[in-house]
Amino acid sequence: MSNNLPSERDHRLFELLARETADPGAERAPSRLKARLLTALIQKQQESGRLRTLAETRCAGHALCVFEDLWERVAQGEAAQSFNCCSLCHARVLAEHLERPPIYWGHCPYVAFAKK
Amino acid sequence: MARTEELDSPSAYAALREGEKNAKSDYSNQMNQEQPEICQAEEARAGANQLSDRDLVADVLRKDRKATAEFVARYADHIYSYVRRRLIPRADLVEDLVQEVFLAAWENLEKFRGESALRTWLLGIARHKVEDHYRKRLRELQLAEEEESLESEPVSNHDLEEVIAERRAGELTREVLSILPETYSMVLLWRYWENRSVRDIAVQTGRTEKAIERLLARARQQFKKRWYEQQSSK
Repeated sequence: MSNNLPSERDHRLFELLARETADPGAERAPSRLKARLLTALIQKQQESGRLRTLAETRCAGHALCVFEDLWERVAQGEAAQSFNCCSLCHARVLAEHLERPPIYWGHCPYVAFAKK
Repeated sequence: MARTEELDSPSAYAALREGEKNAKSDYSNQMNQEQPEICQAEEARAGANQLSDRDLVADVLRKDRKATAEFVARYADHIYSYVRRRLIPRADLVEDLVQEVFLAAWENLEKFRGESALRTWLLGIARHKVEDHYRKRLRELQLAEEEESLESEPVSNHDLEEVIAERRAGELTREVLSILPETYSMVLLWRYWENRSVRDIAVQTGRTEKAIERLLARARQQFKKRWYEQQSSK
């Protein structure tokens, strides 16, 4: 048998190695990555039209953070209500760059990524 | 300026932060009590249970930012783990590829019918992205080794078999895959961890089956060699 032909024994050994090491369990993704994923997804969603308004989001059972709450109360018109106010928020910026951002308010998804 | 000077004292800064937190908490409680009644029943219903995959997808498609955050929170760990394991030789590309997976998921989310779990569906997208990467890189990389012959000294399988049998191969396997030449790591991951046939790999990379078999043989041999080097250095 030529050395250039694959060794059946090696082949079986690697099949076994792959099976044994296939699933070591879920690792935690960095919270910075999750923050960037959310920002990228929301940007993509906005490309094809308005986001759901904050009032609709709240009525669907999602709690708003203090900034979204304030925004919902002061923003006038559907366009403003659909605006991604997180794009103006320091919590998003910090969360995209720091693994443990120093932000504390409740119901902020960017804060939640660091906690989970 | 006066504010900056005040904050130069650590205790003053801590007191200010505490005050801000309390103020936010008070405000948040007050606002939550003032929500319109029409939403209260729906909030209670939604708060009671985690959204199902279908409901979550429906809300993401409605461009609900909180549902989108839940989508990321629920599945980013699974996708990240998978991509990280499959891109061992190129850890620098993991985060970009995970982002590509989520953006492709958004583009195709309307096609999700709930016939499989959302996690399985997302892993399917991740698998395609990883294989796209393998295909592209193996096409780009020069397989100069094709001209080389295998080392005449075969490497024993004995220790490797023993470690596998004792189920402690995981960490060392990842280490070895990360230090092997990229071509070897990728072809091994593609063939054995992704369980793709030699024929598939050959078709996708535009090479002959024989060339892929030879590449795999060299990759296995190099893997074993590095395995023993790593093991003996510990």
